[in-house]
Amino acid sequence: MYRYDHIDRDFLADRTSEFRSQVARRLAGELNEDQFKPLRLRNGLYLQLHAYMLRIAIPYGSLNPTQLRKLAWIGRTYDKGYGHFTTRTNLQFHWIKLADAPDIMDHLASVDMHAIQTSGNCIRNVTADPYAGATAEEIDDPRVWAEAIRQWSTVHPEFNWLPRKFKIAVTAAAKDRTAAKTHDIGLNLKRARDGSLGFEVMVGGGLGRMPYIGQTIRQFLPATRLLSYLEAILRVYNRHGRRDNIHKARIKVLVAALGRDEFAAQVEAEWEKIGQGPDLPDTELARIRGAFAPRTFEILPAVSETFEAAKLKTPAFARFARNNLKPHKIPGYTIVEVSLKAIGATPGDATSEQMEVVADLAERFGQDDIRVTHEQNLVLPHVKLDDAPTVWAALADAGLATPNMNLVSDIIACPGLDYCALANARAISVAQHIAEKFADPDRAERVGELKVKISGCINACGHHHVGHIGILGVDKKGEEFYQLTLGGSGAEDAAVGQALGPALPYDRVADAVDTLVDVYLRERQDGERFLDTFRRTGVAPFKEAVYADVH
Amino acid sequence: MRALTANRLADGEVVFWRGGQWVERFADADLFAPDDPAGEAAEAHAKTQPTLVVEPYLIDLTQSQGLWAPVSYRERIRALGPTNLNHGKQAEGGAAIEALLHAHGAARSTGRVDLIKRK
Amino acid sequence: MPTFISLKDGQFSLAEDRFTSVGDEQSIPPGDVIISLARFQSEGEALLGQRRSVGVRLESGEEVEALAYDLPEISVVALAFAKFGDGRAYSSARLLRERFGFKGEVRAVGDVLREQAGYMVRCGFDAFEPADGSSLEDWRRASQRFRHVYQRAADGRPPALVERGE
Repeated sequence: MYRYDHIDRDFLADRTSEFRSQVARRLAGELNEDQFKPLRLRNGLYLQLHAYMLRIAIPYGSLNPTQLRKLAWIGRTYDKGYGHFTTRTNLQFHWIKLADAPDIMDHLASVDMHAIQTSGNCIRNVTADPYAGATAEEIDDPRVWAEAIRQWSTVHPEFNWLPRKFKIAVTAAAKDRTAAKTHDIGLNLKRARDGSLGFEVMVGGGLGRMPYIGQTIRQFLPATRLLSYLEAILRVYNRHGRRDNIHKARIKVLVAALGRDEFAAQVEAEWEKIGQGPDLPDTELARIRGAFAPRTFEILPAVSETFEAAKLKTPAFARFARNNLKPHKIPGYTIVEVSLKAIGATPGDATSEQMEVVADLAERFGQDDIRVTHEQNLVLPHVKLDDAPTVWAALADAGLATPNMNLVSDIIACPGLDYCALANARAISVAQHIAEKFADPDRAERVGELKVKISGCINACGHHHVGHIGILGVDKKGEEFYQLTLGGSGAEDAAVGQALGPALPYDRVADAVDTLVDVYLRERQDGERFLDTFRRTGVAPFKEAVYADVH
Repeated sequence: MRALTANRLADGEVVFWRGGQWVERFADADLFAPDDPAGEAAEAHAKTQPTLVVEPYLIDLTQSQGLWAPVSYRERIRALGPTNLNHGKQAEGGAAIEALLHAHGAARSTGRVDLIKRK
Repeated sequence: MPTFISLKDGQFSLAEDRFTSVGDEQSIPPGDVIISLARFQSEGEALLGQRRSVGVRLESGEEVEALAYDLPEISVVALAFAKFGDGRAYSSARLLRERFGFKGEVRAVGDVLREQAGYMVRCGFDAFEPADGSSLEDWRRASQRFRHVYQRAADGRPPALVERGE
């Protein structure tokens, strides 16, 4: 993974020093809250229902054991011993004190971590495929480009006061594990016919009040021109994005207002004026790329006898292997998905102890490599099949081995009204009730791939618009109600979900999901996932079943 | 009845107005009758304390088990803590916490409506 | 005479402001003036012909391209921050410096706070009218917080990738 040099470390030191002085000015009354709030947001600090929430950046979801242990320690020392992994692969602590925040930033800096630009109207954490470097599918390692963009966007003087937040994702495989089409900029790595590397550039995706799927404004951008092209897009947005209405300020609104072609033309015109000047020099690209070169893999047979024997002997391990292990490009290795979706637990949460278990496993069996996914799980991307049974046993002891990847109980849920000042309704307990209905792993496997995504409000941090089943919390006369949608997808076949019917009260949501699954099981034809059946039948059979007993 | 609430600047803790001080337990909060100008006066005074609290606002209350509790579910969560873990103020337990846990209220609190308008 | 913070050759100082900012409804006094874009478009030519220095104030939504033709004659472009969070002036300043090669004064006016000083200096502002009572020393310290920068901007500081190449 990327290794900080003295420049990166000096930068963090200067940033934490700046933040410390800003906090001091606020506490002394030299800054009012209106002046201070954008500054603390640019250091990841929100004021939520119970306390401050700190959102720590995990660039492109990549961590080493030292960093994960430090996060565990911060959770224990400054919070209540747990953290929450988010849909943008960051980590949130819910019980932070403003007065402690500068010290926390120093502790983060000591392991090359920070909370820079994880909130505020600026360029946020750049996300990438969590299987980067491990999957045979990828055109090139997206982390290399995500790191280049991270540095370029960090305290960018022109683009730190945008009309609204700005999110970039980099994907490099046919299967999109980043929801790139729902980002302000989605970058899809490709090769031209002559083999040269480049990006399909998609702009104007976004969830929230008005969900949009990103539109391609350039089919192929040579990779060597990436930063200048991003500059062109950001400049057009900074100058012309709306600033009169916070709900109309994302770039998706500008792209929709101008139309894709006019927007693309303005970007190209600006890009041309920026010219062919130096972009990312080859030496710097090589330096970044070198940091991501994998450690040597052992030469192993594709089939591991230890692994096969363990599956035969222990059905629970076989189930885990079936659901939570993914193919690795190197024979004899596997990608291990670590589930943070134990039945009845809070989706995406991990205790400090659990973080330390994962850190230890990465160190002993995983080449010191840990990833966070946008579906709020962790990944050990480089594990030998020979070691998989041992890793599984340790994960199982720590409650991290629920065999439910991509199944109905692998739910995405934002913190919701339990923690968040913006929320209308709870998301966590809804997720728990649904998961409990599908606690039987046989039933969950029978249902197959089903992505349930829950947001506690229209800001859509739970990505409900792109859930196969999406659930949106709304406030109806002070009570918690939920609007269900069907048929959304955040993958390469991106789509916005379709409303099922009138909003349901809190105590009917889990039953409704149960009913939707029953309809699917009844209607499905060979090999269809829930999403496929819905796309074939439309909403009618589902709506009829859920609302049958309403009248 | 109403109460005045805010978040404490230094640590973000939910606090309630009590006779010119800020207390952490809802049970200790001053209560204001709906038409009592002392409520607005307290709110105005709180807004002159930017180094103590952030965004003070009045909330509506309802009766629960013989005690007062916020009408709005959101405000009850602020007064108690999250519902997924026994963290925050609810960990103290006792009659006052029980009253909060058992409160009902379908109406939006005034404070909540004001906040939404402000956004 | 009012003063403002001036940045020349990397040094901050308090400078006397010889320019009078003139509102659209006011009559133009003698001496050097800063006027709105609209007023410049109707009266600018005449004023420049009177051998006085003329500056133009651009509001956040006004584009620097409107001045492109006249920039060689303009002494000051005052870029207004309607609110400190309205970042359009950062693009305007960079374009003035890097695209149009403007060598005159680029002044930050409006909701100008010391916590944004660093961004302003990097984007090519060289004159500042702080709205928060910042002293010269406050401004200098706030704008010099970072020993390294990651990207090129109008200030010519070498970005990290250049430093690494050395």
